[in-house]
Amino acid sequence: MKIICVVKIVPDVDSFAYDYENNTLIRENIRMILNPDDACALACALKVKAAQPDCTVEVVTMGPPSVRPHVEDLLRLDTDRGTIISDPAYRGSDTYVTSRILARYLSTRPFDLLLTGSHALDGDTSHIPAQIAEELGLEQMSGITAVDFEHFDRQRAVFEVEYENSVVTYEMGLPAVLSLDRESGYQLPYVKYEDFQKDVSGKLTIIDNGELGFAAGEVGSEGSLTQVVRTYTQNFATRDRTLVQPDEKGIERVFNYLLEKGFLTK
Amino acid sequence: MKRTLIFQDTEQIERTADLLAVAGKMYGEEPFESYALVIDGAGAPAVAGNADTPTSCDSPGGLNNPASSASASSPGGPNDPAEALSGFFQHVIRVARHVAEPHDQLGICAILAELQQEYQFDSILVPATPFGRMIAPRLAKRLHTGLVADITDIRRQNGGVEIIRPAYSGRLMAAIATRGSGPVMMSVRPGVFTYSGRGGGDGAGNAGSPETEVREYTTPVESHGSLRRLAVKEKQISYDIRESEVLISGGGGVLRNFSGLQRLADALQGRVSASRKIVDRGIAPRSIQVGQSGRSVSPRLYIALGINGAIQHVEGMKNIESIISVNTNRNAPICSLSDIVVEGDAMEFVDKLTERIEAFRSDAHAEQGAQQ
Repeated sequence: MKIICVVKIVPDVDSFAYDYENNTLIRENIRMILNPDDACALACALKVKAAQPDCTVEVVTMGPPSVRPHVEDLLRLDTDRGTIISDPAYRGSDTYVTSRILARYLSTRPFDLLLTGSHALDGDTSHIPAQIAEELGLEQMSGITAVDFEHFDRQRAVFEVEYENSVVTYEMGLPAVLSLDRESGYQLPYVKYEDFQKDVSGKLTIIDNGELGFAAGEVGSEGSLTQVVRTYTQNFATRDRTLVQPDEKGIERVFNYLLEKGFLTK
Repeated sequence: MKRTLIFQDTEQIERTADLLAVAGKMYGEEPFESYALVIDGAGAPAVAGNADTPTSCDSPGGLNNPASSASASSPGGPNDPAEALSGFFQHVIRVARHVAEPHDQLGICAILAELQQEYQFDSILVPATPFGRMIAPRLAKRLHTGLVADITDIRRQNGGVEIIRPAYSGRLMAAIATRGSGPVMMSVRPGVFTYSGRGGGDGAGNAGSPETEVREYTTPVESHGSLRRLAVKEKQISYDIRESEVLISGGGGVLRNFSGLQRLADALQGRVSASRKIVDRGIAPRSIQVGQSGRSVSPRLYIALGINGAIQHVEGMKNIESIISVNTNRNAPICSLSDIVVEGDAMEFVDKLTERIEAFRSDAHAEQGAQQ
């Protein structure tokens, strides 16, 4: 079985701090991480591989050259091949263009299954998995919270999706694009100590537009159909807070506030 | 005249009509023609979002059999979506089960593309339900048009429109412009917009509501997906935090005593909710999480216990009348947003306030007893 994991290296947005008093987002010194949902997808692929020795796993990502160390770390796990799609011409590509670029590369590779995350921390549009699937003429499913490894072969996959009020088990024919949710809890193994510095350049391929051959106006912000015109922070209304202690006086103050506001009925 | 198509995929039919507010904002004073696409069985209450009723799921031949798919949203049923949408939309296009199943993404995408060919819509709006979020990007790709996800506002600017959506999990807002010749496509989270254009109509085509023409879509679809539903497990949901007027919410500061919050919730006739920290630790179910990755809530009273107030949490707190926060750090971000800040231990606060309220109640009770 051949699995390709399409992943993204994203800023760890949970570490952004927000200053409500001044309504500013503090974005300095932000760590880059493997998108959490994508980590579950790769962990899922490695679980399949552990059970099926002839299985191969390729990791594909698109991004600036600075993602290289992150991909190298993934190649120090039991992955077979890593591919970074990177070209200055791709900068500013929206989801429409990005999925086109990824699909053009993927269409040159043999695979039985594409695994991705469902949501990315930074963009959070969830467009790419569905759009890659559409480009390649495949079905796709988002929000997968469990995979049934007993019923998982080159012809079909069985998996669960958790909704607000229910958990549904589905079967889908392969090849297809399956998108994992971090609720699945699949965790990447740690890199073995002796592999920390392992040279993995032999497993890594960098692909640029020379190979994919898009015309200048087709990609990047120029080729995109949506464009971010500006960004701004939301204005949160700060309130005139009263500061109290949890002592008798403070509790009485809170109690009276609740009484005045009508939250306490006899 | 502009034409907008709205895809029906929510449990509550009014949520579909709410998307008319998006079209209204986009077109301003300019009149537009409204179309709703209804897939029989979509958004059926049995399964959130996107699937059919469990009864029909594995019965061979049952897919075309109305008896086996007698859900609350079946045609002509009490909550027939096509009927419910009458009076809101000028046109309702209904797709019967035998044409496409409600979870058949390839089939439904083909129908939408076909309809676009026929009607040349200027905009296509899709609710950001689990199924909507899969079908919208696929359709955008097929129509060679841009898609803006999870929009929260629309602004008209120099003849064009700017579409507003959150970025970085709500930490930043982005204004998006679209270009190209295709229809403008957006996905919209249910509940973000409210349509108030009912204009005195009663939802049945009376005064102030448009006359609705219903079309049955019968053109056979050639490409179908292979997806099959094997089983449906209903989840145990005890309550919906969105419906509560009072929320007692716990965060990292009450990790060890989270269950203790219930006492105060009972005393205030409210419900317990949680921050992501609590939910990620498995202490509380995702269904009671407040925030960008949880639920948006608008109670009258929100008591935040040991919650720091990361923006992803605050994003879920909408139009709250009173906020009381209890934190050992008076400079925690949430304190800036609060009416009262209690600087100290959250559990001590819970115990003392609960006792105070209980004393108040028993006094009141004793008073009543004395009067009788």
